[in-house]
Amino acid sequence: MEALFYNADDGYLEAIVRGYRGSILNNTAYINLTQCETLDDVKLQLGASDYGSILQNEPHMSTSMLAQKCTDKMVQEFEYIRAHAVAPLQQFLDYMTYAYMIDNVILLITGTLHERDTHVLLDRCHPLGVFDSMPALCVATNVAELYNSVLVETPLAPYFMDCLSAEDLDEMNIEIIRNTLYKAYLEDFYHFTQSFGGPTAEIMAELLQFEADRRSLNITINSFGTELSKDDRAKLFPNIGRLYPEGNLKLAKSDDIEQVKATCDVFLEYRQFFDNTAAGSSKTLEDRFFDYEVHLNKKSFQQQFHYALFYSFLKLKEQEIRNIVWIAECISQGQKERINNYIPIF
Amino acid sequence: MSGANSRLAVFPTRMTLSVMKQKLKGAQTGHSLLKRKSEALTKRFRDIVRKIDDAKRLMGKVMQVASFSLAEVTYITGDIGYQVQESVKNAQFRVRAKQENVSGVMLPVFESYQEGTNANELTGLGRGGQQVQKCKDTYIKAVETLVELASLQTAFVILDEVIKLTNRRVNAIEHIIIPRYENTIKHIISELDEQDREEFFRLKKVQGKKKEAAARDTLERESRQAAEGHVDEATSKEIETEIDTGVLDAAMAEPSDLLGGDDEDIIF
Amino acid sequence: MAYSRDAAGGGGYSLVSLYPSIAISGLGLVGLYMLLTGSGEQFNVGDFLLSISPHMWSLLGIALCVGLSVGGAAWGIFITGASLVGGGVRAPRIVTKNLISIIFCEVVAIYGLIMAIVFTAKLNNVQGADMTSSETYYKGFALFWAGLTTGLCNLVCGVSVGITGSSAALADAQDGQLFVKVLVIEIFGSIVGLFGLIIGLLVSGKVN
Repeated sequence: MEALFYNADDGYLEAIVRGYRGSILNNTAYINLTQCETLDDVKLQLGASDYGSILQNEPHMSTSMLAQKCTDKMVQEFEYIRAHAVAPLQQFLDYMTYAYMIDNVILLITGTLHERDTHVLLDRCHPLGVFDSMPALCVATNVAELYNSVLVETPLAPYFMDCLSAEDLDEMNIEIIRNTLYKAYLEDFYHFTQSFGGPTAEIMAELLQFEADRRSLNITINSFGTELSKDDRAKLFPNIGRLYPEGNLKLAKSDDIEQVKATCDVFLEYRQFFDNTAAGSSKTLEDRFFDYEVHLNKKSFQQQFHYALFYSFLKLKEQEIRNIVWIAECISQGQKERINNYIPIF
Repeated sequence: MSGANSRLAVFPTRMTLSVMKQKLKGAQTGHSLLKRKSEALTKRFRDIVRKIDDAKRLMGKVMQVASFSLAEVTYITGDIGYQVQESVKNAQFRVRAKQENVSGVMLPVFESYQEGTNANELTGLGRGGQQVQKCKDTYIKAVETLVELASLQTAFVILDEVIKLTNRRVNAIEHIIIPRYENTIKHIISELDEQDREEFFRLKKVQGKKKEAAARDTLERESRQAAEGHVDEATSKEIETEIDTGVLDAAMAEPSDLLGGDDEDIIF
Repeated sequence: MAYSRDAAGGGGYSLVSLYPSIAISGLGLVGLYMLLTGSGEQFNVGDFLLSISPHMWSLLGIALCVGLSVGGAAWGIFITGASLVGGGVRAPRIVTKNLISIIFCEVVAIYGLIMAIVFTAKLNNVQGADMTSSETYYKGFALFWAGLTTGLCNLVCGVSVGITGSSAALADAQDGQLFVKVLVIEIFGSIVGLFGLIIGLLVSGKVN
């Protein structure tokens, strides 16, 4: 049934996104990039791609500049889509930006907590997470004020209200706040996508469940040997995903990587993350997560008439930027032996 | 050298001579001491140069690894620079300075130490935390190397200065001051010799005159004695000769003494 | 319509799902009222159908034939067109090629138009006693159902060609080799409309 009505509002944008997807660098382009000797060669190689035009007027290549420009390009594409979107898609896209918004708000909170000049921080926020009333957050001088203005000014208010109080902002570790918010966000986004039904719900479920599981695994592994207690750790696990609820309980009790591995052994797809014997074992856990994420995101382009491909496109684009920056970084630092650690997309 | 023929403008007296000799001796002792110091410093200097070389090579490697690990972090977690910057309150990695005495030169030595708990322990909790910690450790190592290099480099600069100074002093003493003293001494000796010879000649002259006068006296006296008698002649003559020989002996003995003293001085 | 739901308001969703039950219970109430007030025989479908003029039936058939066909074609064109316009932004080469999908959709409307013309030719003015003859009723019903068959077939065919056309445009934008392959599928889809056309012709063929 999606096919009948989807195109009326979103057909154009879907086609546009598919067009953007077509411009994502393919394997040949990556092989050419890895052959480069200097950053100028990289620029030359990228000249044929979508990034050509934005790099044209840059006399001096540096990896940070490259990352900046590529991100700008991505944001520009995303903003174009967002500007043309109508009701449900509009909200879907807004939801996607909340993840970046959380990071930005957290950055501002950190700045306020340490009594820095938060206006400077505005420029450093991720452009996707910028919202109109963000400068209003800079007015706050203490945490209580900031908490109130976050509640009033940002779309993140429900997450803040449900998870945190003004005192928490002061006392809790900023990373814990970030992950608490992110957990609330993921769950909300998940339920939002499920309300669509059809392929959107189906594909987004898979993507967001993996995202949630990845967070749970990462939090578990990264909290070994830190001051984060097991109870606190359990509170940060999103209540969605394939690991929920049984796997999350096991993860909450884990003390070492072996137990995490045992938890994931039940799931065929997740087993490979800890399989060090397989070929290409130079890959880290994070690399394998990325690998799988790219795989899932690629899959969402196999279906038509759904919203998940907007999400997937953004994720793939982010991965592409990571890849380009990684290759540029390897070239500029002369670490050619690790240049092939990027994740090929198409 | 211009100093080769120069000498101090002193009045050539025996007093000055002995003062000069003392100065010469002092200069030579100083010269040997400074020489030894400069050698010690140079040895230390070479040590430091070697260490700097090692440290620089090490630093190159460590910095490369460190910046690459930062690249890894950026790859996985995105740009966390601002987050980390904003959440820092106190420096965790600190440097304290000590002083080390090498042959009288005070060299600052920097020592790094860590204070407080790991502030960024939870950074990247949701993503890439391990990489963040790894990167942090690599950078701590890199900064340690840097601190080590910094203390070596400071020591290098200070020692370089001191060695230059010492060498300049050694050279000045060796090539200017000592020759100047030697020249002065030689000059004084030759002046003194000259004076002695003059004195001797003068005495001879005086003696001659005295002899003439004595002969004349004797003649007169003889002629008078011839008139008065032969009583006093013998005694007066004896006294005259005694004086003569005394003066001469003294005049002859002194130069040999001088030379002897000089030799000893030169040998040290 | 899965996407119509405004996620912010859960109430909208439940209201939409209530519409059919409201209609059914409303009809049930009217039916019961008529039954219980002793006028149940008024609820006579056959009588009702016979009471409608054969002219009405045949003209309704023609209207449905052309209307549904044009609706199907238009629906197909907008599905294809939206994707085509979007795809054409990044790959302008697909636009002219994929106009063929639009033409396939358009053809469906032409089928309906042709059939409507054929049906119109069979129309004639009937007067007096002939009005209630079985022949006249046959004419009316035949034209109505032939028109409805053609119209519905063309509607579905148009939508199917439209969706395939949209996929064809996107596939072509991604990889030029795929165009012909998807086009073959699209042709099969457009044939479906012909089936309705043939049956419509056969059904109305007995009418003279």
